[in-house]
Amino acid sequence: MDSLHGILHGLSVAMQPTHLLYTLIGTFIGTMISHLPGIGPSAGIALLIPVTFGMDPATALMMLAGIYYGCMYGGAVTAILLNTPGDAAAVMTVLDGYPLARKGRAASTLAIAAVSSFIAGTMGVTALAFVAAPLAAIALHFGPTEYFGLIFFALSTVSALTGDSLAKGLLATFLGLLLATIGIDLQSGVPRFTMGLVELQDRVNFLVVVVGLFAIAEVSRMVEGTLEGTLHTVKVQGKLWFTREEWRRARPAIFRGSAVGFFCGAAPGLGGTIAAMLSYILEKKVSKHPEQFGHGAIEGVAAPEAATNADTCGAFVHLLALGVPGSGATAVIMGAFIMYGIQPGPMLFNSHPDLVWGLIASMYIGNAMLLVLNLPLVGVLARILYVPPGVLLCIILGIASAGVYSFNYDTFDLFMALGFGVLGYAFRKLDIPKAPLLFGLILGHTLEQSFRQAMTISSGDVTVFLRSPIAAGLLFCAAVSIIMSAWAKRKPREVLGIAPGAAKEQSAEG
Amino acid sequence: MKPVMPDVVLAICVIAGALVYLYADASLPLMRIGDPLGPKAFPALVGIGLLISALLLLYEAWQKHRTTEVRRHRVDFRQIGILCAMVVWTAIYYSAFEYAGYIISTLIFLFGLLSFFHRGHYRANLAIAIGFTACVDLLFSQGLGVLLPTGLLPI
Repeated sequence: MDSLHGILHGLSVAMQPTHLLYTLIGTFIGTMISHLPGIGPSAGIALLIPVTFGMDPATALMMLAGIYYGCMYGGAVTAILLNTPGDAAAVMTVLDGYPLARKGRAASTLAIAAVSSFIAGTMGVTALAFVAAPLAAIALHFGPTEYFGLIFFALSTVSALTGDSLAKGLLATFLGLLLATIGIDLQSGVPRFTMGLVELQDRVNFLVVVVGLFAIAEVSRMVEGTLEGTLHTVKVQGKLWFTREEWRRARPAIFRGSAVGFFCGAAPGLGGTIAAMLSYILEKKVSKHPEQFGHGAIEGVAAPEAATNADTCGAFVHLLALGVPGSGATAVIMGAFIMYGIQPGPMLFNSHPDLVWGLIASMYIGNAMLLVLNLPLVGVLARILYVPPGVLLCIILGIASAGVYSFNYDTFDLFMALGFGVLGYAFRKLDIPKAPLLFGLILGHTLEQSFRQAMTISSGDVTVFLRSPIAAGLLFCAAVSIIMSAWAKRKPREVLGIAPGAAKEQSAEG
Repeated sequence: MKPVMPDVVLAICVIAGALVYLYADASLPLMRIGDPLGPKAFPALVGIGLLISALLLLYEAWQKHRTTEVRRHRVDFRQIGILCAMVVWTAIYYSAFEYAGYIISTLIFLFGLLSFFHRGHYRANLAIAIGFTACVDLLFSQGLGVLLPTGLLPI
């Protein structure tokens, strides 16, 4: 099925009433979650996965994807009104969004953010549809050697580009790989590192780790905010639309931001935050009034918002085509895929065309829904900002607990989630990025299997990885990404002079 | 900027953990059924990777120590105490989860937490705790077919 037919077929799947309803629910929940400072898409999706039990996979994945891009869409609201990014990627929107809101332009800034997100999302989904299927066709020729190279490359870039320290990125990745080795080895039947616990024989539950590491750990951030924080919210006033002059300035920024965002999303490990940063830098460089940036330039809102939303679509490219997640949130969605017994990757387009094209097409519909949600209803949705954080953190903990228990009906999972919550807190305090751990955990099993299969085929000859041009190329790229990262770490942040605390938000979501 | 000391402590902990992991890996039985590597090789590589990243962390800490002035951060013991108490309270909740049942344990857990973090609104807190617990129980048991433990309650 070619891409155009795929989209048309997908639209017929996505337009089914149940799918429409759950796409709407997903986008609505995503928007709500994005209004909670500190709770990002990974935590939001992880919290809501138990709610999808019993649904058919296509419906569930449409809803989870809706939460993801809904989160990215709505992250601008807290950035503009509260001076706090709703998700890590909205960190750049704060720089000009909040000053604009303080000047009485909150309504028009929100409108520009919503329209930018809609245009970028639509462009991104179109690019996703036309890139993912051909890429999947190429990946069908991949053997274990190439898969090892690909996963190694993905892990390297995530380690190298997430967080402020290469050592800490690598540490988190290896911790994730360590967790992936726990449980019964499928090839030999030997239990590994289970410490005699039966519960660990079936490997560490990915969703328990995600809920602990993201949702429960993020509660600690809210506790700190409740104890010491003072948040000043700007009220939404005036007509929720922008002027002709604002649109003229924002339009090219939206298109440039969309392109930057999609490419960043399609490169594993870069993520929405870097996409937003790069698009912001680009806009500042090409602007005739760079001095306005940081004081309320509309391009400074339009470009990063477009970039973060296009990045979301880019991140789906390798998840769907290669079976390798592109961000922390897509790693969680990949966990959901596996939970439903579906292996994302090149075979997906052949084995589950309804699901994959339906999912892609649902993003068009979801984007349109988000535009409606984020324009007329923004004032209503923003009321969630006024819910006391003390109440929210209790509710999040309650949902997380019920959700974790429902995975296996076992309190062992609850304690494990609590343990990972404490680990997540330690990660945050020590500035260790969480996304590489997630990548290591979810890709570790496939990495080991590919490695062992390749070694079996070659009778233990390590040079097998260098004899395949694709694998050798990917391993070379992995080495380059590590060396480049060590050479010039976090330059964009230095250029922009972003507050370290704000930049480190990226670590939470990757 | 962060003080260097926590990174050094972290690196030492990682080295210790990696050595324990490598020891546990070495203790695994050697089985190479149709597989030249067996179940020990990959974990060994992971353990070595952990050691390398810990050494790199030590190097980064040393470089940071050389080039920048180390600033001490004030530790908020009250905040840490509250977080520890919250972890203990959550652990108690999880221990009672199956025995007392979802409804009773969650109600007490939430009301306790809300009483601290949303002080002075006892009626509202009680209403939130009851409402949330009932909604989640209904959602999971009726909506999703997931049965949460009933415990002491006969329903």
